[in-house]
Amino acid sequence: MEDFLNQLKEDFNDVSYEFETILIKVNVENWISTHEILRDKFDLKFFSWLSAIDWDNEVSVGDKPKEVVNPSFEIMSCLSSVNSSNLVTISTFISKLNPSISTLVNVFVGANWHEREAYEMFGITFEGHPNLTKLYLPDGYEGNPMLKSFELISREVKPWPGDVDVEGMPEGFDEENS
Amino acid sequence: MNTIDPRNFQSISEASVSVEIETEDMTLNIGPQHPSTHGVLRLVAKVDGEKVYNVEPVLGYMHRGYEKLAEVRTYPQITTLVNRIDWVAGFSNEIPFIAGTERLMEIEAPERAKQIRLILTEMARICSHFVFNGAYALEVGALTPIFYAMEDRERVLDLIESVTGGRFHPNFNRIGGVKPAAGSGPTTKKNIQDLPVGFYRDTKLAMEKVIEAADKFQNLIGGNEVFHKRTKNVGVLSKETAEAYGVSGPILRASGVKSDLRTQTDYLPYEKFEFEIPIGQNGDCYDRWDVRTREMVESAKIVLQAIDDMPSGPLQAKVPKVIKVPAGRTYVRAENPKGEMGYYIVSEGGLGPYRLKVRTASFSNVSILPVMLEGALLPDLIAIMGSLDFVLGDVDR
Repeated sequence: MEDFLNQLKEDFNDVSYEFETILIKVNVENWISTHEILRDKFDLKFFSWLSAIDWDNEVSVGDKPKEVVNPSFEIMSCLSSVNSSNLVTISTFISKLNPSISTLVNVFVGANWHEREAYEMFGITFEGHPNLTKLYLPDGYEGNPMLKSFELISREVKPWPGDVDVEGMPEGFDEENS
Repeated sequence: MNTIDPRNFQSISEASVSVEIETEDMTLNIGPQHPSTHGVLRLVAKVDGEKVYNVEPVLGYMHRGYEKLAEVRTYPQITTLVNRIDWVAGFSNEIPFIAGTERLMEIEAPERAKQIRLILTEMARICSHFVFNGAYALEVGALTPIFYAMEDRERVLDLIESVTGGRFHPNFNRIGGVKPAAGSGPTTKKNIQDLPVGFYRDTKLAMEKVIEAADKFQNLIGGNEVFHKRTKNVGVLSKETAEAYGVSGPILRASGVKSDLRTQTDYLPYEKFEFEIPIGQNGDCYDRWDVRTREMVESAKIVLQAIDDMPSGPLQAKVPKVIKVPAGRTYVRAENPKGEMGYYIVSEGGLGPYRLKVRTASFSNVSILPVMLEGALLPDLIAIMGSLDFVLGDVDR
């Protein structure tokens, strides 16, 4: 693991290792070339997943980020090797105005469906994608459900997690023994 | 007067055969309620006669939006959700999520809890492969094996139920350990609930039955000539294509890649046990069936070793009453019955994750369908699809 990390540090500037996960941060221009280098030089041929994170200070669901963040999309992908336990996650930031990034389909064919999912869930355009259409959502669905600004309707009707449990504990329940 | 010369007819009919017959392409809609799609997958297949030349899977009929729901849930609540991703092996879905949360909180589950997790996750694998054996045989035309498979699976499910209280959705893991087992007497401070009475004996019996059953399937299914004809050299998947598509688990191993996260990573203490990783050579449907059936035996062997060597100690590590996960991000993956399942947890220090990316095995495994089915014969479509052993809950999340 140490050797692998040092090798990565030779090729990439921003490599961190936290909680047993390697994270390589790259600029959006190097998004494709990074994957090519990792595939060819580091033998990371297994395409695990690709997704995005919506960083925003105004959230309608869940908790806000701990510190004030620059509103942006973080595109994440994960590559690993079938011959060893090497695994890296790659991250890049793109702007929220007109979000677009080059497609990885030409490097890893497996990125196809993952990009389609990110496209419908976050509204990110993957330039050069052969078939950038909705994957899960029905035709005519408006909005991008995974955005932090997209409200969860059931939460509007009934706010939760609340202060109390949905129903009380059964009678005779002894808290001491729980 | 013109007489009809039969020789002319003969030559005409010969001529029409030698010209390639132009057939109209047909679009065949399979699903979403087709019994062999293991849920609600819809395939739009373009067929030319008996040949399939283009398949477009249509997903989303089972999309429940767990990634979004996870953002409004607390960490202990999410295990309930993730149980329902791959419902054939519900228990194994919890493991990587719990392992990831523990990693971020820097909590180590006690040895005994880890071993119980390991036993139950292997039992879930056996259950999943039982379902595959029964269902796949059914799909290629053998009716009998599913009755054996369901009967034998019941023994294993009963064991899971005796420990967790649930057959399909155990929700048994807790951050820092496992829930006190069901059915093992009253809880008092002195008498901590543990594995139920008779678990050791019943497990031994059940696992011996599993090994027997796998042997039975090798004869009943693997010894069937029709099954060989339907599956050998059908749906061959090369190692390189599998890797590029992110195909994992038994499908990848059937293509000759010796890759198993149980030995490559350390989410559960598999290094304590001896087991083989079955691999195939051709990467065809038969190999995929064979790898899974052999895996059942290996899983049973792991369980037998594990119950013989149970560490003693508590079931729970010390955890705070309100679970807050410190800011950080981690990716934990596990070898589930269907392949690599992983959770990328992005925590911002709150009660729930800021973002939870769920990487499921069947999603990537199904994305290979258009490639595998191109040029396949229509009757092979079901054989190839069934050999991928996917569950729609695992595809759609």
